[in-house]
Amino acid sequence: MTAQAEDRRRIGSRLAALQIGAVVVFAALAISFWVLQIVQHQKYAEMAENNHQRTLALRAPRGVLFDRNGKVLVENRHSFTISIDRERTKNLDRTEQFLAQILGLDVAAVKQIVNRHRGEPTYRPIVIVDDASLAQVAAVSARKLDFELPDVRVEEVPTRKYPETMGAHLFGYVGEATDQQVSQTSGLKSGDIIGQSGIEKVYNADLKGEDGAKVVVVNSLGREIRTLDEQRPTEGKRLQLTLDYDVQRAIEDGFDAVGFNGAAVVLDPRDGGVLGFTSRPAYDPNAFAAGIDRATWSSLMTDEDRPLNNRAIQGRYSPGSTFKMAVALAALEEGVITPDFKVHCSGGASFYGHYFKCWRKGGHGAIDLRHAIEQSCDVYFYTIANMVGVDNINKWATLLGLGVKSGIDLPNEVQGLVPSTEWKRLHTKEKKWYAGETISVGIGQGAVAVTPVSMAVYMATLANGGTRVTPHLLKAVDEGDGWKSVPPPAPSSKIDIDSAKLQAIRDGLWMVVNAAGTGHNALIKGPDGKPIHDVSGKTGTAQVISNQGKTAAGNTKKDLRDNGWFVFFAPRDNPQIAGVVFLEHGVHGSNAALVAHHILDTFFAKLDGRPLPGKPEFKPNLVP
Amino acid sequence: MFERRLWFHIDWALLAALMALALIGLAQIYSATGGATSIYHTQIYGIVLGLIALVICLAFDYRSLGDKSHFIYVGVLLLLIYVLFFGAVRGGSRRWIDLGVFNLQPSEFAKATVALVLAKYFGESRRGAPTSGDLLIAGAITAVPLLIIMRQPDLGTAVTLLPILLAVAYVVGVPMRIFGILALVGVLAAPVAWKFVLKDYQKERISTFLDPEQDAKGAGYQQIQARITTGSGGLWGKGFMKGTQGQLRFLPVAHNDFVFSVLAEEHGFAGVLTALGLYLFVILRSLESARLAKDRLGAYLVLGVLASFTFQVIYNVTMAAGLAPVKGLTLPLMSYGGSSMIATLAGFGLILNVRMRRFTN
Repeated sequence: MTAQAEDRRRIGSRLAALQIGAVVVFAALAISFWVLQIVQHQKYAEMAENNHQRTLALRAPRGVLFDRNGKVLVENRHSFTISIDRERTKNLDRTEQFLAQILGLDVAAVKQIVNRHRGEPTYRPIVIVDDASLAQVAAVSARKLDFELPDVRVEEVPTRKYPETMGAHLFGYVGEATDQQVSQTSGLKSGDIIGQSGIEKVYNADLKGEDGAKVVVVNSLGREIRTLDEQRPTEGKRLQLTLDYDVQRAIEDGFDAVGFNGAAVVLDPRDGGVLGFTSRPAYDPNAFAAGIDRATWSSLMTDEDRPLNNRAIQGRYSPGSTFKMAVALAALEEGVITPDFKVHCSGGASFYGHYFKCWRKGGHGAIDLRHAIEQSCDVYFYTIANMVGVDNINKWATLLGLGVKSGIDLPNEVQGLVPSTEWKRLHTKEKKWYAGETISVGIGQGAVAVTPVSMAVYMATLANGGTRVTPHLLKAVDEGDGWKSVPPPAPSSKIDIDSAKLQAIRDGLWMVVNAAGTGHNALIKGPDGKPIHDVSGKTGTAQVISNQGKTAAGNTKKDLRDNGWFVFFAPRDNPQIAGVVFLEHGVHGSNAALVAHHILDTFFAKLDGRPLPGKPEFKPNLVP
Repeated sequence: MFERRLWFHIDWALLAALMALALIGLAQIYSATGGATSIYHTQIYGIVLGLIALVICLAFDYRSLGDKSHFIYVGVLLLLIYVLFFGAVRGGSRRWIDLGVFNLQPSEFAKATVALVLAKYFGESRRGAPTSGDLLIAGAITAVPLLIIMRQPDLGTAVTLLPILLAVAYVVGVPMRIFGILALVGVLAAPVAWKFVLKDYQKERISTFLDPEQDAKGAGYQQIQARITTGSGGLWGKGFMKGTQGQLRFLPVAHNDFVFSVLAEEHGFAGVLTALGLYLFVILRSLESARLAKDRLGAYLVLGVLASFTFQVIYNVTMAAGLAPVKGLTLPLMSYGGSSMIATLAGFGLILNVRMRRFTN
């Protein structure tokens, strides 16, 4: 074999080895691609989709709330949220620092928000600012153009707009669902906005609507290229409330003018529809609508006046003289007295070894039921309470709506108390009811405690002749195909009151306002200066502490002034409005009557087609 | 010089495969850059100039080119040294000579030149087996341009010179034990290189490759994205210009280092097999040319040219699948790059040259 031939043979065999090697390597490559593209295709296809597709939630606007005349009460406005999309974040710390700096926020606060949502999937943006100012939006938008903040989003969302503090406790507020709510409610996810109080909470299912979604294609810088799919959100159902805006306005203006905390509930006595409702002090639900900040929240929580407390349905107060109509009805209906039954008042009387004073030192002399109501004679009611007994008072007070829940469509209503021998036996240490205790109950003191809303029902029941209506706020619902009225809830009870007996009580109430009583502040005068619309009512001035207690307390910062009540209905025949004004430490019931006057004046001016009265100015009587 | 009968010995099949790959690459560049951009046009010029270079390399008998190989070698070395001092700087390295309309990258031409010089050196040897002296000289021939290119710095291109030396050494009959010893030295030297030679960013690339998730937003990003791009293509792909990864720029330099990933995304496993088949055809066909070569010079020349080509193809395709550390190595014939296209086609001009003249004296 020649050297050249040998050479060829060697080259040939080594080339053959290289050929085989090439085929093997390419086969290996082909298998690798087969694994990636066929076997693991699904996984990588999903990753590619996650890369370039973003699902953006489109928040549904909540249903708009209207008053009974179609005036908008609560609506929606557009606000901007600024959030961090952690999927696009390269350096979370840097983003937090930078964002805090340009938004003028505390870095620690931003980090705290992010930490709270750390456990959630990264594709869900973390909202840092809920209701961003235009300056904040501009600051972020400018940085986004420079690609400095590819992971920060600015989104426009509908946000609740409330009429400031007006009816705050009635409308309630919305807020992000708490962790607890999310775990307890199906279909609710973190970040959802739901009603947390008031009508917003009770009718949340109607109001919330259906959130939509938008699937968009984004590029590697996070910029939206085009929309793949969009489901428009469905706005929540529109609700019409029984509320009358003008009456509500009058209540708020009245409280502003009189300057006391308290509550008011005004009903249509014919069906229980709530015409107006307030609790003071109020808060601004708008602060909650766009995510309340920590400072505002803690100041609301620590405020000694407890602005979040809904006094109208959660406050329990001694009714004082306003309770006397219940005692009167019990005595009349149980046949213990007739309207003409007279008691001699000498400024006080002794029962069971104790002397009980009348508020008028000189006494009222011989006085019948009508005048006892007009003059609010304590001795008269001590006497008839003693005659009828506590259990009968309890029975009739309950039928009038006191000491029980009204059933209003608002959350967390509390129950008042009208004592009875059974209550004493079951719920106190002493167990035995002493006859002497009945005397105090006769003038609405002692253990008697009522909520303002139950007082409104009480007056409505007296006004309509015995039907204990259920206060309610919902009048009609629009499910997208026009208004459908919602029938009022069934009354809690209905009693046949002897009209002659009831008329005696009504006469007394009319005299309180129109004769020599304590309620003349509530009198409405027509253009000719003569009383119109026959306003009937009753004042009540209830001690928050006994006289002995007051002396013992000495110099305390606590407000120990008496609470003032005014309960009313009008007109005397076929009443169209009934309600209560309660002033916390309002000194006199007559001060509450000032507020009631403005409410009634507005209500009837509207009914009569007169111009509505302007904002009132009061000079409440502050002398105890 | 160019006899008429030689026309009939041109390997038209190989030429067609080369053109097919260049056109597939051109189409993917069009897709990845979003249409007929200047990048796309530059690539067309590159292909045209490459074909001219191919014809030139085909026209002269490779044996006379071999005779002048030392001139060509010195010329290329001078260009490389020139670049080192006067080259255009981009991305922190000097690799290019700015020709106004075109940036010439001399290191691309160093590959074919080294192949030619090595082929000439071993092809003329009268002895049966190469001596260790021969190997030292061959090593030096490769090392000089390699070191200059490393200084640019362009480690990727520099490394592609090594397969030329290894392939030629293999086929000239260097005993297998020498390769075994080299491999052993390589393994032993690796820790030393890790500690003293590799720069931090290079170490990071390697460790990132081993665990891309540890730096998913940084260095591992490209590797993960390459895998997603390839894997999401599936069997038939997402369609021309419809790949989300390439079109929406999740994959960086999609028209360049990752052009194969874009192909895999838009044309799927079917497109991958087509391209891989074409590359394998080119390689096997060229090996065939080496076997058919009339003399050792021809066989070694073909192998040298083919070695750096094959190395780059395999490395780039592996990287495109996200299975190799990301290194700035382009895919010959498909990636964007004028110099690379011209040099590659010129190299194949030499391979065609050897096959075409297998019957001449």
